[in-house]
Amino acid sequence: MKLFTALAPVWLVFAASVLQGQDLEQVRKLEASGDVAEARALLAHAAESDSHSVPALTAYAEFLQRYGDPAAKEAYTRLIARLRQSGDSARADAITRRLALLDLVTPDPHQPEILAKDGLPTVPIPGPLRSFARMVAISGDARPNEILQSLARNVVTNGYQASRSNEALEPTEYLKLVHRYLSQAQELQKLAGDSQVIKIDNCDSPSVGELLRILGFRIRGGCGSEVVLETVNAARAFLTTDSGFPINVLEEALRTNRPFTYDYHPTYASVLFGPEYWTGGVKEKDPGDFVDTFISDPSLCRLYLGYSKLDPETAEELRKGIPFTRIKAYAHVLDFFGGMFEIRGGKAVVPGGPRNAAAWGDLAGASADHGADFFDKLMAKDDGWLASLYDSIARINGPVQDYLLQPERLKRFYSAVRGRLTSPGPARPVFRSNTDMMLLTTRLRLDADGKPHVPGNLDVWKALFTSHPQGRYDGKLTRLAATWKDPDDVIEALFALSRKTVENEPLKIFMAVSDIDHNRLHPLEPATVDRLARDYHEYGAQYPVFSEARSLTDKTVVQFLETMESLTKIKEPAFRSDTIGSFQALVSLWQILVRQGSIPAGQADATLSALAESFSAVHTDRELFDAGRQDLKTLIAAGGEGKGTAQERMVALLSGGEAGDSDAHQEMAQQVQRILEAQHMISLDTLFGIVDNLEALPKGEKLNTALVNKLAATLNEIPVARNSLTGAEQNAMGYGYWTDRHISTERKLNFRSAIEKAGTDAERLKEIRSMMAPLLRDTLLGFNYAYYAPPGAQILYTNPVFVRGHDFIGSQGSYNTWRSTEVYGTGWPSNAGGRLVGSLSTLPYALAEAEQNFLIPTQTQALIWGDLVPQMILSATTPRWWNVTPSQIHWVGLHLRYGRELIAEAASDANVRAQVMTSLGTAASPARVDEVRRVLAQGAAREALDLVTPSELFEVASDVGPKRTEDSSCLLAEIHRLQQADPQEISYTAISRAFGTPKPTLANSYEPELLHLRTFPTLMGYSSRIMAESWESNTIFWAGLADELNLPPGELNLRIPQWTRKLVEEIFASHLEDWPAVLRSLRHVGDEVRAQTRAANPDIKAEPQGIPNR
Amino acid sequence: MTISRRELFGITAGGLLLRAQDQKRPIFRVKVDMVVLSYQVTDSKNHYIKGLKPGDFRIFEDGIQQKISTFAEGSNTPVAVSADGSTRPLLDAKQETLPGMEKPDAFVGTNVFVLFDTSNFMYKGFVYAEDAITDFVRGLDGADSVAVYTFSRNLSRAASLTHEKSDAIAGLRKSVAGDDTALYNALLLTLRDAAKVPGRKVVIVFSNGPDNASMVAPDDVRAVAEDEGIPIYVISTSEVNKDPISSNVFRRLAQRTGGKAYWAHNWQKQVEALEDVREEMSNAYTVTYYPAANPNEGFRKLLVEVVNDPGKKLRVKYRPGYRPSRTL
Repeated sequence: MKLFTALAPVWLVFAASVLQGQDLEQVRKLEASGDVAEARALLAHAAESDSHSVPALTAYAEFLQRYGDPAAKEAYTRLIARLRQSGDSARADAITRRLALLDLVTPDPHQPEILAKDGLPTVPIPGPLRSFARMVAISGDARPNEILQSLARNVVTNGYQASRSNEALEPTEYLKLVHRYLSQAQELQKLAGDSQVIKIDNCDSPSVGELLRILGFRIRGGCGSEVVLETVNAARAFLTTDSGFPINVLEEALRTNRPFTYDYHPTYASVLFGPEYWTGGVKEKDPGDFVDTFISDPSLCRLYLGYSKLDPETAEELRKGIPFTRIKAYAHVLDFFGGMFEIRGGKAVVPGGPRNAAAWGDLAGASADHGADFFDKLMAKDDGWLASLYDSIARINGPVQDYLLQPERLKRFYSAVRGRLTSPGPARPVFRSNTDMMLLTTRLRLDADGKPHVPGNLDVWKALFTSHPQGRYDGKLTRLAATWKDPDDVIEALFALSRKTVENEPLKIFMAVSDIDHNRLHPLEPATVDRLARDYHEYGAQYPVFSEARSLTDKTVVQFLETMESLTKIKEPAFRSDTIGSFQALVSLWQILVRQGSIPAGQADATLSALAESFSAVHTDRELFDAGRQDLKTLIAAGGEGKGTAQERMVALLSGGEAGDSDAHQEMAQQVQRILEAQHMISLDTLFGIVDNLEALPKGEKLNTALVNKLAATLNEIPVARNSLTGAEQNAMGYGYWTDRHISTERKLNFRSAIEKAGTDAERLKEIRSMMAPLLRDTLLGFNYAYYAPPGAQILYTNPVFVRGHDFIGSQGSYNTWRSTEVYGTGWPSNAGGRLVGSLSTLPYALAEAEQNFLIPTQTQALIWGDLVPQMILSATTPRWWNVTPSQIHWVGLHLRYGRELIAEAASDANVRAQVMTSLGTAASPARVDEVRRVLAQGAAREALDLVTPSELFEVASDVGPKRTEDSSCLLAEIHRLQQADPQEISYTAISRAFGTPKPTLANSYEPELLHLRTFPTLMGYSSRIMAESWESNTIFWAGLADELNLPPGELNLRIPQWTRKLVEEIFASHLEDWPAVLRSLRHVGDEVRAQTRAANPDIKAEPQGIPNR
Repeated sequence: MTISRRELFGITAGGLLLRAQDQKRPIFRVKVDMVVLSYQVTDSKNHYIKGLKPGDFRIFEDGIQQKISTFAEGSNTPVAVSADGSTRPLLDAKQETLPGMEKPDAFVGTNVFVLFDTSNFMYKGFVYAEDAITDFVRGLDGADSVAVYTFSRNLSRAASLTHEKSDAIAGLRKSVAGDDTALYNALLLTLRDAAKVPGRKVVIVFSNGPDNASMVAPDDVRAVAEDEGIPIYVISTSEVNKDPISSNVFRRLAQRTGGKAYWAHNWQKQVEALEDVREEMSNAYTVTYYPAANPNEGFRKLLVEVVNDPGKKLRVKYRPGYRPSRTL
């Protein structure tokens, strides 16, 4: 390796020298323009035309490697041969080494997968894994060491419920079925005998009756061609079917009088520490009974779950150091907050390292030098509060962690978190209840002086705690607030509030306003922060608007708040709904256009200010229509020069370009049009055309009857909501009054009559505009729905009043107008179709949530998606990649491939391994880092790669790469070259913006961003939503795939939603936090896409093999 | 059933231009499709009337008489119908005059989509329902194809459309019990799949009714079935009066699409209901036609008349109408 390192720069120079000049320049130009195929052809031609040219062969082979092309191996092989021919064995050896690295991380489809060799004892589970997995609701892909862990999790979360008669827990139907299945499986195992194969020779075999009895079926009629199996014992037959026993194959065998054989070997599941540890040293008479015993004790399962999150060394230390009954009592704490525990050489590895060991020791009451004792005390201290603080701080890195770990501060913050009453602790509920503490430690930012960033100033926060309009948050904190002198005081108060599961609004305000500040060129003024803090309760859901543009002035922020306030005061509900709906739709369009760069940053503030300005003066429907039209004009003008009518311009802006642009733009425009058509939206051109025509009537122009008829025809097409429902059905509806009224009012609009009545009276003709205000609202709303439409968009294509049915008011007594968008009316007969209620602030998420049940899973256990799927869909539909360059995509691809190369090197080079592990440790849990390290130490780079996510791979490459100044990798060289060529376009900031994900909950912003956080667990109040937002691998992976397949950047706008849909449909997960299952699906979809693309373009890639971007 | 015939007629014949202000702008057209219409004829005692010929029927759309292009009875191979009412084998007919019938085999037999509810609500009757469906699938005509879909919160394609009944049964027998019930979501997705298949098709829903997870309303789903010409048969494993709202919806879904609703709370009744569905399918007449010019872009009302029925004693069961599809 060292030789290779030393020689490499020489080759690069040499390769460049021969291909210098026009050829090399042309190749780079072609690459930058996205024409990679042509560049490849050019290099291929050069290599072919002079097969003795080492530089040409080198350039070609390196090019192929840079794009993850499987043909790279062949090209390197030719290069090696040529180098050996020429007697340059040193360079040939170095290239051989490079090829070996490539081989090391390229999956071989012919090689069977190597299962993790954990060396743990096992227990038998009767029957095949497939059946057991179906019954216990875990993935059929589970490995032996994952079976009990997944089972334990399901038992903990779904296995028991509170008894109706007493305080004890009783098993749920799920667990009863598992027990019954195990019983049936044991019967079948006995029937299978020593051969462990169920064998039936023919229909007349004596064992047929016994087998059918166990299965709960019987033969209808006698043996022969008419044999039909039918249920005789419903409970048993249900287990038979639900577990996937091949009853149809048995039936067919009996009918045709052929033998039936079914392999019934037991499944072996690894058991941490061996089964005796879990049975208190008692050896089961029958090892097959272990699982039955295991699932009968939920706290045992909880302890198993906790232990399984630890690396082997830490787990073993805890096992040896803490008695079974004692640690079982803290199983809940270990499960939720033990994931970052780490013991090395008997000592606890604490956040902050040795310099903080004493501080942690003081808090826990035991020295970190005695690892097991330290963690024992940490867990036992206060029902989990200290452990939860430990976990929150251990998850982060860098200056914020250093700040929090300053010993005095740590004590102070712990004291605040702990409070006076420690019970119930944060590990008692079903989900972790320290959500806000985790968010606070993750999102806290420090100013240049090393102190935490407190938006506005200290006085703002003192005032908020002492005189909040909604009442006092906390009596003690209110008293203390008057004495605050330092930002630490505010942070301490926020820690104190984070132990509350309700009424911790100040913490939410702090994070929301901090996030706005984070995205700004200049921090908000104290007065603005004060206003934002006080208005949060009413308008907090709208604050992500302020994060869209960095240049928003304080004046515009305040103006926006005032406009919301004035609109809220409109008394008449229908008018208020139309006005606020129009305003929100326009603001949401502004967000879209700013985010995708259609409105230049320099115009963002003025445009938003103009929207707020015009709506602050709206008092009538006519004014509403005029304001809407004017604002639309403002938005379109801010979007730049362009041809076409208002409707055409809006559609063009939403689809990222003008008509006649690329196929991707046209396809996007058609998608928008199709949805507008399905929703019977009135075209802007029709609305504005009629208004202009009416204004011209008094001047003698003729009425444009065609346009008026067209409008009438479209209105006539709007179906009446709930038209076909009976009286009883309609009475079952509890809400939706105002939306139904909105729709029926629109249907009744008779423009022809109104125009006739107005005659040539200019004023009365102008007044007709008021009739159009609700229609304009719907069209503006329709643009938003169409833009964020999830892949498939079944609801938008099926329910023709889905957009019109958006409820800005909500049911009586609720206050939804400025709140987050929510899905209501799921499940008939509670409504005539679901609808969205509230503001448009979380429209992308709500649309994705509503659509997720239309995805068709390819696997049986697909009922655990929760919030993960809407967030993934949101990440695929909200960002747009119109402004991304081919070089940026290539840069991501290069990082992923360089990350793989580093992993390959780490398998044989301890120094590289140390670098990689340090970097990986900032994102992965100690247990996973340890696993990767162990696998790499065995030289298994491919298996190690399976454990690393694409975002981690990207981060490892970007972190380790700059430190390896001597590295001769052609990938790293190209990374440097691209960055130097255009530091603005190719920078981590630009890439983060292009290929990050929106994090509306975690970061209060829709701006895509890469935060490189550890993947969050499920959290109380957010379920798996925060976890989904912290998952950043999808877009990174798709970018790498696009680079490999040479897709134009614009194509990403079409492909990423499609790929994401496939990804979701192929997830085969066991539980809500099963991100490895997401990773498997991601890679599987990648393989499918590669295979399809290469099959469709055989000229581009010769071999449909290899998975370079894993 | 919407097989585009736009190329044949072009824009001028029946394709109605909605928006065509310039060539660059998207144009929505009403597609001029081949309409597939299935119906049964019964007498006053509800006995099926067999053996009727194309000339025995008159088909109207909004009062406009239509020219029947092909005709089939039960699972028989369809025949082409000439202008004079005479028939000839479809293979002899000029295919270019029958767009959408390029694969006449697709019109032999019925494509049956079974949609089986595996949600919590079906838990107790799950296995008996499976038995009944298995019997039904086995008893289908050899020319029929069958697909088995199951649903809970999401749809699952347990067995794709196949002539191999054993494959369909294998898929059915691998069903897994789920949780929530999104019946109308699943029905919509099933209809979308069925709509892609040429030929005659029906959807048979096997559910007990209460839906607690769908985002789409039953009447919106029903409209899709109407437009695509796919009859929906609903077999509810609940009792008719137990959930009157669901019962009303089932009735409406079936009636408006030319299907039928059954309430069969035990295995025997489920078998009987499925037997009745099979009877309906084997006694159905299926005609295809290309709609005559009609300015109505909305709901087009259908009328099927038996020509020689002076006392109006015969009853014809068919879907009330459809909306022509629009395309960009």
